[in-house]
Amino acid sequence: MEEKIICSMNGVSIYGIISILIFVVFFTGMLIWAFTTKASYLNKMGSLPLNGGEKDSNDKLNAE
Amino acid sequence: MNTNIETFKYDNRIVRAFAIVTVIWGIVGMLVGLLAAVQLFFPEANLNFQFITFGRIRPLHTNAVIFAFVGNGMFMGIYYSLQRLCKARMYSDFLSWFNFWGWQAIIVGAAVTLPLGYTTSKEYAELEWPIKVAIAIVWVAFTVNMFGTILKRREKHMYVAIWFYIATALTVAVLHITNSMTMPAGWFKSYSMYAGVQDALVQWWYGHNAVAFFLTTPYLGLMYYFLPKAANRPIFSYRLSIIHFWALVFLYIWAGPHHLLYTALPDWAQSLGMVFSLMLIAPSWGGMLNGLLTLRGAWDKVRQDPVLKFMVAAVTAYGMATLEGPLMAIKTVNSLSHYTDWTIAHAHGGALGWNGFLTFSMLYYLFPRLYKTELWSTKMANYHFWLGLLGMIFYIVPIYVAGITEGLMWKQFNKDGFLQYPNFLETIVQVVPMFRLRAIGGTLYLTGVFMMAYNLYRTAKAGKFEPDTEAQAAALEKGPEIAHGKYSFHRFLEGKPMFFTVLAIVAVLVGGMVEIIPMFLIRENVPIIASVKPYSPLEVLGRDIYIREGCLGCHSQMIRPFRSETERYGDYSKAGEFVYDHPFLWGSERKGPDLAREGGKYPDAWHYNHMDDPRSTSPGSIMPRYSWLLTQPLETDALPSRLGALRRVGVPYPAGYENGPAQKDLQAQALKIVGDLKLGSVNCETNKEIVALIAYLQRLGTDIKSAPVTTAAK
Repeated sequence: MEEKIICSMNGVSIYGIISILIFVVFFTGMLIWAFTTKASYLNKMGSLPLNGGEKDSNDKLNAE
Repeated sequence: MNTNIETFKYDNRIVRAFAIVTVIWGIVGMLVGLLAAVQLFFPEANLNFQFITFGRIRPLHTNAVIFAFVGNGMFMGIYYSLQRLCKARMYSDFLSWFNFWGWQAIIVGAAVTLPLGYTTSKEYAELEWPIKVAIAIVWVAFTVNMFGTILKRREKHMYVAIWFYIATALTVAVLHITNSMTMPAGWFKSYSMYAGVQDALVQWWYGHNAVAFFLTTPYLGLMYYFLPKAANRPIFSYRLSIIHFWALVFLYIWAGPHHLLYTALPDWAQSLGMVFSLMLIAPSWGGMLNGLLTLRGAWDKVRQDPVLKFMVAAVTAYGMATLEGPLMAIKTVNSLSHYTDWTIAHAHGGALGWNGFLTFSMLYYLFPRLYKTELWSTKMANYHFWLGLLGMIFYIVPIYVAGITEGLMWKQFNKDGFLQYPNFLETIVQVVPMFRLRAIGGTLYLTGVFMMAYNLYRTAKAGKFEPDTEAQAAALEKGPEIAHGKYSFHRFLEGKPMFFTVLAIVAVLVGGMVEIIPMFLIRENVPIIASVKPYSPLEVLGRDIYIREGCLGCHSQMIRPFRSETERYGDYSKAGEFVYDHPFLWGSERKGPDLAREGGKYPDAWHYNHMDDPRSTSPGSIMPRYSWLLTQPLETDALPSRLGALRRVGVPYPAGYENGPAQKDLQAQALKIVGDLKLGSVNCETNKEIVALIAYLQRLGTDIKSAPVTTAAK
């Protein structure tokens, strides 16, 4: 039954093609992007939460 | 280098306000859950009081825990971390407090309307339309406040936690609006614009992504902020967090149909949901490992610090739930797990472990900092941790056993090829002891929460609240940043929150559109089953009572195409049967038998007696009594507005039908049912609610029972 429903829809095959295209393009782009980003920048970003700008001695409770 | 150092203040009041209500609503939500759990083995626990009966308080429990406990916990964490990550006070104090009081008003609205039976019946979206409008307004206020803060930030780049917050704000808005398309039929009654299969797909696209973008992405953002803070070291891999974010946001939205496997939903949508669910394991586990590996070399801290203990357990629970979810989305596994308590166990692994424990860790982290003191009792917090963990195990393990037992018993055939347990009740009686154990687990978990509340209260008493924290940072320089040499697209993106937002929303919407658009086209393509007709006026009112009482919390109306189901319930459900179902009532859980073909199975008098006292007709049943239906008058005054609203969403009632002919038809059908009841020695007046409910139940599935199935393409 489902096949009939789907086949009767105008141009439904395009959805499958669009899906796979978007998927491949998106992930290729994302991976290139992630792996070409500089390590120094990543380190800087990673430590961003550790400095909240508080005047009061940068969180005494975390100090060992 | 900019030397223009600015001094400003972080708003701690709003964080404290959200923290306090998180604890209060957490306790309320879990208490309601416990009451619901007890009713599953002791139905009399509703005290024969309709407002606290299982069907009505189950949505109250889920809404309270998701939107009140986790929702407030999310706002608490975001309001604390966003200010510090942006090095700026929230954009507008007015919007912060509008967000706070608006959200609490919505919760109170839910706590009043759900027990009263005002519900749309759509899971996690039960609230009626005026409250839905209020949610949209408050959410917009939150989003504007968040973007305002991001725009006036003093930190050039947006940390990954903020990306998760942005994705949350936008996607929840899209989901909420799409799934809330309803036609009002009075102040607290509405009908979904969508019908049947379409409504089911939209609802589970929403339901799945509510879990994704309300319970998962904001909490991942919070994990990326609070875990490094508590461990006092940066996240293990920032690169991994980038991949985690984009992959998760992109993939999650496609996976919704895995809630509808083997239903009347078209097969392609089911397969799409399954494949994307499996792919979700990768980013989810990437995120979990990123969290856990942050603690490498700091595991000694975990032994002593309750904050880290809760975080580690929460992240582990996230990993477990996100492995189990995709496995349950495999069609063969789902054929066993769906409609059973396995789903409940899965949901609670995520809720108690991931959301609950991460919220507790944030509360233990924040209270000492907001009150400038140390936690009143670290020992007590550690006891809370172990009690919570024990409670979780006692909750989840018995429910897994119950779920798998139910699934196997439903499918079991004897050597002669008949169902081994033809009476559904046999399968429920078998798992009742597990329900008792589950309630013990829930009690342990809740006891831990009470301990936390006391501990936090004592911490607050011992310290002095700091309403504003003074901070300093350099003002943000204007103009493009090319200072680091190579101009990176990534950095450009993070520097441009609006562009980032557009990209994030495109990633989210693509999946949604590919899934949803064909379903809108399908409206014209669902085969019309000639014998399927709109509900009669009396049946419409009966269906509304079915919705009000939350019957679909325990009874599905969707027979899957398995021999074990067709033997037990009758012919499997077809898409064309639900074209007039606004909303769809397929359900997601069976504590009682499926009702898709209930019509004509029992005489009217059986239904009457069964509603009065289910144990009189079905000994051992765990269904509550619905004796109030026997005495409460049927509100026929509402008929014109309801039939009118249904016509407006596409049910072909003739013009003017509701203004006269409908009342006559209603009376005629009611008289017939009352006559049938007399044959069964039951005296009942025509104007009682039970008559309408019987009319609806006797209609279920009869359209294609009475006539041969003929499909006619439109």
